[in-house]
Amino acid sequence: MTITEEATPPSPPSPGPTAAHAIDLVKTYGKDDAAVHALAGVNVEFRRGQFTAVMGPSGSGKSTLMHCMAGLDTPTSGHAYVGDQDIGLLDDAGLTQLRRDRIGFVFQSFNLVPTLTARENITLPSDLAGKKVDQAWFDFLVGQLGIGDRLSHRPQEMSGGQQQRAACARALIGRPDLIFADEPTGNLDSNSSAEMLGFLRRSVTEFNQSIVMVTHDPRGAAFADRVVFLADGKVVGELASPTADAVLEHMKQLGT
Amino acid sequence: MWKVTIKGLLAHKLRLVLTAIAIVLGVTFISGTFVLTDTLHNTFTTLFGHIYQNIDFEVRGKAAFTNNAPGGGGGAVRKPIDESILSALRQVPGVFYAQGTVSGYAQFIAPDGKAITTGGAPTLGLSFDPNPQLSSLHLAQGKAPTTPSDVVMDEGTARKYHFDVGEHVRILLQGPTQTFTITGLVRFGTADNLAGATLAAFDLPTAQRLFGESGRFDAIDILAAPGADKAGVEHAIARTLPPGVEVVTGQTVANEQADTINQALSFFSTALLVFAFISLFVGGFTIFNTFSIIVGQRTRELALLRIVGASRRQVFRSVLVEAAILGLVASLIGLGLGVLAALGLEALLKGFGITLPSGPLVFEARTVFAAIVVGLGVTVISAISPARRAVRIPPVAALVDYRGEQGESSRRRIVIGTIIAVLGIAALALGLTKPAIQLVGLGALAVFIGIGMLAPTVARPMASALGRPLARVFRISGKLGRENSMRSPRRTAQTASALMVGLALVSTITVFGASLSKSATSSVDNAVSADYIVSNTDNNANGFSNSVAVAASRVPGVAATSTIYSGEFEFRHSLSTMTALSPEHLADTVILRMQAGTGAPALSARELLIDTTTANSDHLSVGSVAPVKFAETGTSTIRIGGIFKPNALLGSFLVGDGFFLSHFNAPLPVAVLLSTANGTTDITKAVTDGLKAYPNLKIQTRAQFEKSQQAQVNQLLGLVYALLALAVVIALIGIVNTLMLSVFERTHEIGLLRAVGMKRRQVRAMIRSEAVILSLFGAIIGVVVGTALGTAFAASLKQQGITDIVIPFPSLVLFLVIAALLGLGAATWPARRAARLDVLAAIAAD
Repeated sequence: MTITEEATPPSPPSPGPTAAHAIDLVKTYGKDDAAVHALAGVNVEFRRGQFTAVMGPSGSGKSTLMHCMAGLDTPTSGHAYVGDQDIGLLDDAGLTQLRRDRIGFVFQSFNLVPTLTARENITLPSDLAGKKVDQAWFDFLVGQLGIGDRLSHRPQEMSGGQQQRAACARALIGRPDLIFADEPTGNLDSNSSAEMLGFLRRSVTEFNQSIVMVTHDPRGAAFADRVVFLADGKVVGELASPTADAVLEHMKQLGT
Repeated sequence: MWKVTIKGLLAHKLRLVLTAIAIVLGVTFISGTFVLTDTLHNTFTTLFGHIYQNIDFEVRGKAAFTNNAPGGGGGAVRKPIDESILSALRQVPGVFYAQGTVSGYAQFIAPDGKAITTGGAPTLGLSFDPNPQLSSLHLAQGKAPTTPSDVVMDEGTARKYHFDVGEHVRILLQGPTQTFTITGLVRFGTADNLAGATLAAFDLPTAQRLFGESGRFDAIDILAAPGADKAGVEHAIARTLPPGVEVVTGQTVANEQADTINQALSFFSTALLVFAFISLFVGGFTIFNTFSIIVGQRTRELALLRIVGASRRQVFRSVLVEAAILGLVASLIGLGLGVLAALGLEALLKGFGITLPSGPLVFEARTVFAAIVVGLGVTVISAISPARRAVRIPPVAALVDYRGEQGESSRRRIVIGTIIAVLGIAALALGLTKPAIQLVGLGALAVFIGIGMLAPTVARPMASALGRPLARVFRISGKLGRENSMRSPRRTAQTASALMVGLALVSTITVFGASLSKSATSSVDNAVSADYIVSNTDNNANGFSNSVAVAASRVPGVAATSTIYSGEFEFRHSLSTMTALSPEHLADTVILRMQAGTGAPALSARELLIDTTTANSDHLSVGSVAPVKFAETGTSTIRIGGIFKPNALLGSFLVGDGFFLSHFNAPLPVAVLLSTANGTTDITKAVTDGLKAYPNLKIQTRAQFEKSQQAQVNQLLGLVYALLALAVVIALIGIVNTLMLSVFERTHEIGLLRAVGMKRRQVRAMIRSEAVILSLFGAIIGVVVGTALGTAFAASLKQQGITDIVIPFPSLVLFLVIAALLGLGAATWPARRAARLDVLAAIAAD
């Protein structure tokens, strides 16, 4: 697809190859004998303008990795960076600001505040920051996502797919350095899933957005530029320009 | 963020309404109190302003006592002035008109032979000043009284009891009852009645004679000549006056009178405000609880806000703003209802025998300010702790199952709760011994908060024990209800805490009241040996005719009579009340247990008897000589002739009637005690017949007198209970609210229970079991705490006459039963709601 004239083109990526990276990230739950290593020393790098999928079986540490890299959870040891910022050095206010201004989120469910309309949910980060919304960009996103006629509806009046698209718009509205998507299509039927993933793909290709998506669906991973495989809290493999079959193949190898 | 807050509020209208009710009721109480007392204040000020508006100056005796009664200038004891001053005043240049006035006791007798009572307002007898410019009385009908058998009556009384000009009316006076002819009807200023008082006005010489003030005036009212220099006239008047007599402006007198009333009103409004604050305090617990639950239920939503960039401060503010909006709206509604409540409160007080004058409602800016500040303040302060809990929710709670921080904070809560409770008890103990009422209130507050914090610790075992019988009776429903109440001990305790405070207060009053009531009886037993006590039917009246004792002594079978007087004097430079009775029949009528010195002989020797309390506090012993001062006779000294053990009837200072009569001008008896000759049977009828001429009297046997003393206590308790009932209602609304919220919260779970076969009836039984456990839990703690508080209060007042401490177990058990029933009632709505849940929708709900 092409960018229409009136839409504000996204600013070109600032120099520096990585959007986020982790160094020796360890997350341990419990103590001593009962200790569970959700992350056992993860080193990973997510590049700017790239769509990265993180895959792995249940309990492999996918979600924990995302939580730690987004500043939602504190690692037991190691460092997580967003851009050049070591987020371990940030206090709560700093982390809040980081999430608000530099990171976007899309989750599997409960993405939207139930009492707010779709429009209010989308502009929530800007409202929280007390900033003005870029109206042209808002209109463009809403148009692209096809939720223009749903803006005054509350979440419970929208379908699952519409809710996810509104969440997507919220993640993109502030042009964050990085979007974390945690199984964004987990609750959607295949049609809605495909639309959703297609839109994420386009936002990387056309607006140079950086996205990290946790998923367990090989077809979903196929939309990504690169797949990182996790097992038992470690990075166990990587695949560039994946296809669904290649991902499935790789998963099988890991499984055995 | 504002949007989130407001939308959140609007999305939960029911929750909003239930939470707001607690504040609405408290604020209603506050604003109602203010409106009512402001109205009364205005009514009285206007009334006195009208009465004195035409009088330029008043000449009167100087206030007799330096440190006066709380009434201030208006209620001061003054010595009457000599008639001769009047003629001197009339010579003063600039004085246009001057007339003496006297006032005293005069009570009308209704056509049915009963004395006309006023429910507290005075039954005034006045001299009628025919000068319409000076007199506060304006003739509405008929003419002024001119002969010794003439009287004019206030229009209000005439209308109420159907008196007309020209008719005869009997009037109770200091001396025997007399019959007069009504020559006219008067209005008082602009009102047909002086705040419920009855008025009988006579011509000046008659009034002087009737009130025992021949040759004397209470005051002289003066009009200045038109155009005269008033300051100059006042100065000239002052120069002619003998020592002990002063001149003041009419405005001063009006202000003094109004101040006296307003002082009494301010006690009244303080008492009401105390109850209003109790209601709000209980309401605060309810709000705290509701907001805690709301924050708990919105954990995921708040976490989501944090993820998309809401700062801690924004989350904190959003909870507080929600509370503030709620508080503001509730305060405004409460303010409106307060005006209506003012009318209701007036009616309530009327029901308890306190009649108040009517006037236009006064709505001051201060009322609005106080209502909003207090309503808003209580709501916001109660929400601070839940708001802080909201702030501590980590963002990741939106994504993973998050279970608060129960264990971590419970230890801290126990420590802090214990500290607050101990501090509260210390403040209470100190406040009670001092005594300092503010400290007592603060201490009680701290004790309640401390116990509220500690309650979660015992919530689980207590809920378990209370729920066991329910589980047996209602089987699975009772068992689930019990489990639910045990599931979150903190919430159980929080919900019950409002009821705990309410019942603690009720129990405190019950224990205190029972002790007071019992003490009243036993103190009568220990104070009076007379068989009959004759007193005024109207407890607030100043006394009755001097001729009663003589009439009573003529009744066959009466062996001895003793007239009791009471009056104010200064004892060692502080204003006190003295009681007087005749020494001759002392032993037959009262029980005086002497600790030192003699009883009757000392009284006959014109010596003073004091009680042990005064002797101890003032370090006095038999033979000490103390300075005293009387309004009538001035300063002198008196020898202490004896020290007696505290006596409820006689007070702290006792003199013989001879001494008393020589120091007070025309005093009225407050009681006459009669004792019958040995072996005499019931002579109630004979006494009643003998005193038929005095319909204002109440003749009681000692047993009846005891009972009426108790009845007085009970009447007061009735009023206190009625006021505390509001706090209990607020607590119950809190329980409804919590159950409602917990039904919403457990939609999924209830749906599941219904899906696997639970009947609607069983769902209702489950919710009701939970409510009963909650209520009983709060009630038991409340009753225990209240009993302890009540005992402490009663014990601290031992010196003041509370000699017996009674713990009325039947009443306390009844409270528990009532609390359980009220809990059951509170569960009705939530239980119905839970039973009606659509099974499919409930299971599908996320």
